[in-house]
Amino acid sequence: MKTSKQTRREAKQLFVNCLVDGKLDEDRVRHTVRSVIERRPRRYISVLGQFQRLVKLDISRRTARVESAEPLTPKFRDSVRQNLENLYPTSLIIEFHENAGLIGGMRIQVGSDVYDGTIRHRLTHLEQQF
Amino acid sequence: MIDLSHYALLGNIAANLAESARETATTFGFHWSHFFAQIISFSIVAYLLHSRAYKPILKVLEERRQRIAESLTNVDRIKAELAETENARTNILSKANAQGNEMIAEARAAAAKVLENETQKAVSSAEQIIAKAREAAEADRDRMMLDLRREIGQLVAQTTAKVAGKSLSKADHQRLVEETNQQVAR
Repeated sequence: MKTSKQTRREAKQLFVNCLVDGKLDEDRVRHTVRSVIERRPRRYISVLGQFQRLVKLDISRRTARVESAEPLTPKFRDSVRQNLENLYPTSLIIEFHENAGLIGGMRIQVGSDVYDGTIRHRLTHLEQQF
Repeated sequence: MIDLSHYALLGNIAANLAESARETATTFGFHWSHFFAQIISFSIVAYLLHSRAYKPILKVLEERRQRIAESLTNVDRIKAELAETENARTNILSKANAQGNEMIAEARAAAAKVLENETQKAVSSAEQIIAKAREAAEADRDRMMLDLRREIGQLVAQTTAKVAGKSLSKADHQRLVEETNQQVAR
């Protein structure tokens, strides 16, 4: 369904109201959603849908997903965490996962930024070269 | 030249005729009343014959003569017209022959032109078909090569993944993750 400009504008306004010092406050998000559902203004479902999209985008932007084929040592995790925090000054949610499908190496995704040094990525690149 | 013997002969004949007339008159007798009656009756008969018989017959004969003359004139005219008609027919036939020959020549020329055009079209179509077939063959070949390369790439990737998964040591893993960490650190 196509979202109208008015709906996007209202969702953006809700999203801005949920920011504290430039960071999304989860309590404010919950309170805002609850309040909107109780009042049920016009087009509130579309507005909430758009608001959810903005929240997801923000969380995605602030989430760093670190995947590796082998488990990382705590020391190395700290090093990665430190490097990510230096690169992205906003508070990041850093998640570490293991993925044997990567064969070897590590893959880091922050929002739309991807740092991929896995063998799987190199093989995929090689396959595309053919 | 008439000589005297001939005159003498003619005189004898005339004398004989006169003698015969005299003898006839002496034998049958001559009466003026009969003679005049004969003259009158002869005149009447002559008049009647002349007015009722000879005139119509002469008239009919004259008409027939005129008709024959007209017919002869008509025959000449008809002959002339026939000759003209024959000439005209001959001329028309000649013209028709000439036109027919011209039309046949034009038709042959047109047929030759059409044949040439059709031949050129057929040659052009054949060339186009050949070019399209060649393009299609090249496209098929390229597509097959692409598929082949893709399959080879997949096989290479799968084989490498299996081999690398088995042969990578801890140190290799560590080196790989360090590389990525260095990318982030820059």
